[in-house]
Amino acid sequence: METDEAPLDDKARRMRDLLSSFYTPIPSISSNSPNDFSRHASPDDINSPTFEPDQYMNVLAHKSNLEALLQKHVEMVAEIKNLDTDLQMLVYENYNKFICATDTIKRMKSNILGMEANMEQLLEKILSVQSRSDNVNTSLSENREHIEKLHRTCNLLRKIQFIYDLPDRLSKCIKHEAYADAVKFYTGAMPIFKAYGDSSFQDCKRASEEAIATIVKNLQEKLFLDSESMQVRAEAAVLLKQLNFPVDNLKARLLEKLKVSLMDIKLDPEVIQNVSSSAHKEAVHEFVEAIRAFKTIFPDSAKQMVKLAQDLVTKHFLIINEYVKTRIHATDLLGVLRIVWSDVLIMDEVLQDASISSYSLEAAEVAIKLYIGSVYSHLMQDISDSLLKVLKRDEAGEYPLEVALEACINVVFRGGRNFLHDIHKILDDNLEIVDKLRDLIIDSVQEGFQEFFRQLEVRFQLLSGRNSSPGTQIQGLTEGGQRDKVLPSLVLVLAQLSVFIAQTTIPKITEELAAPFYSDSVRYYEYRPTFAPEEISQKFKVAGESFLHLYVNMKTQRVSLILHKRFATPNWNKHKEPREVHMFVDLFLQELKIIGSEARQILPQDIRKHKADSNGSTSSSKSNSFREDNRSNNVQKGRNQQLLETHLAKLFKQKVEIFRKVEYTQESVIITIVKLCLKSLQEFVRLQTFNRSGFQQIHLDIQFLRTPLKEIAEDEAAMDFLLDEVVVAAVERCLDPIPLESPILDRLIQAKLAKE
Amino acid sequence: MQAASSGIGYGLKYQARCISDVKADTDHTSFLAGTLSLKEENEVHLIRLSSSGTELFCEGLFSHPNEIWDLVSCPFDQRIFSTVHSNGESYGASIWQIPELYGELNSPQLERITSLDTDAGKIKCVLWWPSGRHDKLISINDENLYLWNLDVSKKTAQVQSQDSAGMLQKLSGGAWDPHDVSSVAATCESYLQFWDVRTMKKTSTIECSHVRSVDYHPKKKHILVTAEHESGIHIWDLRNPKVPIQELPGHTHWTWTVKCNPEYDGLILSAGTDSTVNLWLASTNLDELTTERQEYSPTRWVDSLLHTYSDFEDSIYGLTWSSREPWIFASLSYDGRVVVESVKPFISRK
Repeated sequence: METDEAPLDDKARRMRDLLSSFYTPIPSISSNSPNDFSRHASPDDINSPTFEPDQYMNVLAHKSNLEALLQKHVEMVAEIKNLDTDLQMLVYENYNKFICATDTIKRMKSNILGMEANMEQLLEKILSVQSRSDNVNTSLSENREHIEKLHRTCNLLRKIQFIYDLPDRLSKCIKHEAYADAVKFYTGAMPIFKAYGDSSFQDCKRASEEAIATIVKNLQEKLFLDSESMQVRAEAAVLLKQLNFPVDNLKARLLEKLKVSLMDIKLDPEVIQNVSSSAHKEAVHEFVEAIRAFKTIFPDSAKQMVKLAQDLVTKHFLIINEYVKTRIHATDLLGVLRIVWSDVLIMDEVLQDASISSYSLEAAEVAIKLYIGSVYSHLMQDISDSLLKVLKRDEAGEYPLEVALEACINVVFRGGRNFLHDIHKILDDNLEIVDKLRDLIIDSVQEGFQEFFRQLEVRFQLLSGRNSSPGTQIQGLTEGGQRDKVLPSLVLVLAQLSVFIAQTTIPKITEELAAPFYSDSVRYYEYRPTFAPEEISQKFKVAGESFLHLYVNMKTQRVSLILHKRFATPNWNKHKEPREVHMFVDLFLQELKIIGSEARQILPQDIRKHKADSNGSTSSSKSNSFREDNRSNNVQKGRNQQLLETHLAKLFKQKVEIFRKVEYTQESVIITIVKLCLKSLQEFVRLQTFNRSGFQQIHLDIQFLRTPLKEIAEDEAAMDFLLDEVVVAAVERCLDPIPLESPILDRLIQAKLAKE
Repeated sequence: MQAASSGIGYGLKYQARCISDVKADTDHTSFLAGTLSLKEENEVHLIRLSSSGTELFCEGLFSHPNEIWDLVSCPFDQRIFSTVHSNGESYGASIWQIPELYGELNSPQLERITSLDTDAGKIKCVLWWPSGRHDKLISINDENLYLWNLDVSKKTAQVQSQDSAGMLQKLSGGAWDPHDVSSVAATCESYLQFWDVRTMKKTSTIECSHVRSVDYHPKKKHILVTAEHESGIHIWDLRNPKVPIQELPGHTHWTWTVKCNPEYDGLILSAGTDSTVNLWLASTNLDELTTERQEYSPTRWVDSLLHTYSDFEDSIYGLTWSSREPWIFASLSYDGRVVVESVKPFISRK
């Protein structure tokens, strides 16, 4: 019995669960309950799916007493009854619903049956509507086409009207200067004119073309009118372009105009210095404006503009380059550069990408280099000029050598220093362009000095006629007899000048170069080798020495010439008895006097006395005079003995240094020359053979020379020695060397003195 | 200077001007020197350098009738030489022969082969055919140039042709071109003149004043060295005679004579009246010179001066290289002192 009840109860519960899960949207109860069961997991629970009735019954029978069992039984029966009623109710409810649904379906079926007829009716109606509408459409289409045609004609007419009106309209536009509209109209009408211009609208086309021509003309005028605003001109250009007008041509013309205006921009350095540069500024400003305009008008013309600007800069710098070739001051150069730089800056503003400034920087580099070069060449010219004045001296009367030397020194020294000051001025001025070229300027100044001094030395050599390379102008000057007359003094000036340069100018300039140039920063020391003062000063020292030698040489050569003539002319073998002191002595002394005066003008005096010199030769002079006495008395002595004596005397005496080094003093130069001349005299004598009278003549001349030579040369001992040597030579070259008796000698000398 | 003591000395009795290398003597280094004494009997010394090279001894001493102004040894016979001599009034030139057994004779006399007598003029020098045996001689006096035909065996000399120097030109010396035996250079006051001896006509002139001495470069054709009184030494290239290719400063006083070394290119000796002998090393290469000229500077002169021999008391007029030992030269100063020096230390420097 329990077994019957239990599935039933179970079945009902399941049924209810299923139903409730079917009808309630929330499946919580049905789903929860098994969970609960499983949670408890007790097969005793009657509501759980795992309920096992046998076990339940066993447990129940084992655990409960009869009473409890009975009670349980009652409970169960009651529950089963309840379940049954519930089930019954549910079945009824379902049945009801089913019936209801059947009813509804029945009703629906009856309703649909009536609808088909209605539908067919509707179809019929629609078909009729359609045919009607087709009818209407066909009846109206004709009208519609007509209307469309009319509309097209109307449009065409309107266009034709427009074209017919075009000339008027254009002229109206011209009147109002509404060129933009005019151009718009004209370009609108253009296709028609193209298609029918030759036939139907000939007049119209012509008229409008005329109008357009006027427009073009006006536009061009406008374009070229500087007074018009930039905007207007740009527009005009654009319009002209739209009109297919050859703009390139215009552009070329405009460019031409610009170029012409470029011509008008004049940079006259002289004027700029004197008058304010406003005129120039204006011109440049105009030019820049023009460029700006042009750039807006023809945006593709930047290249040409750059070229123009560069041309302007080039032109400016060409002028500057010319300008620096003349003698200008640093401030002048600065002024001009400043102006040009300001121009460049303005132009740079307009033509940003053109790098006019860097272009002009290059040009400025060249200009400054030129300037430095020209300063040097002018300096050189000045020096040459003042040196050449020495040459002209003889023609134009007295031009004292002192003055010439002074002038040269001034030029070299002051010139160099002024130039350096100028350069400093340029460097100190904070002009941008100069700042950028600073290193370059310093470098080229140094290089310049190096080169300048090198050139100067070469020029000196040229002037001295030493460089025997052919075809030099200076040589041409030296030819034609001038060399003998003029050059020695010039050479002397050159010698002293060289010394001055080596000793004073170069150290000074080095100092000046060094001070501000290097103090700026240490790195300038790297550039130092470009100016090597030691080398230059050494060069000038050597040059000075060689000039001094040259001078001495020239002078001795001239004296040699006199002596040569003297000795070559007479036949010494058949000489007549001496009647007077020969005139070559006068020439000789005169020559020495000139040398003396030249030397005194140019060379410094020797401060120390010639102690060593006089000491060196006193003994020798003694022995010599002794020897001479001997000779004059004992001429009859055997030649052997005499020669031996000479040799002995030479052994014992201290050698007089005839050929000592020449110094830069009056005395040294004069003594050297006199010594060399007397040596020459001795050599000339040695080449001749004399008879007694010839010897006497020589003896007389030499005796006469003694006093004046001592005056000139201030070294009695040496003079005596050398004059004695000449006499000795004459004695040796004479078969019968009997000197004049001293009274006659004295008388002749006195007579000569009296003559003077 | 440092080599002052290196020279080997030899004293002549009298003053002297000329010394000549005995070219034909191939066994010994010998020199001939002649004295210049107006009043005494003059001598010709045959000086020989000992084989050890440390001593000069007198190989022969011959009396010469007149004072000797010029002396040249014959290039093909060591016993023959020429002199230009003067008795004080007139000048003459002679060809002499040293007697064969001069060593055994007491006072050997020179044998005069012939004298080169011409009518007028003060004879200056005699030039021998530059090399080898040849019968031609040239004598130069102050007006004329003579070409002689010498016959040693017949002891005669005939003037073959002659030419005058021209008006107002006084010849003073000359040199025979060793490369072109038809050309002779002669010095006069303001020119260096050249003759073609075949036609005996002047061929060209170089303008340079007061040339005292001239010498051809023995190895290089067209190169010529001149010594001038005051302007030093010039080296010329005859192909471009306008400008000297190089200048050397010469001496403090006159540069009297200049001699090119027979063997070593560019080695030049000069002697002067400042009692010194200078040894130069000059470049005779034209290309080198043109590049040098661009960097013209006076210091280059100092560079080319190799050495100055200053161990002399008087002016030096006689100077000769030895052709047998080309590093040896002999110099003769006016006081009769012969000094033989070796330039070996300077040659190695080249």
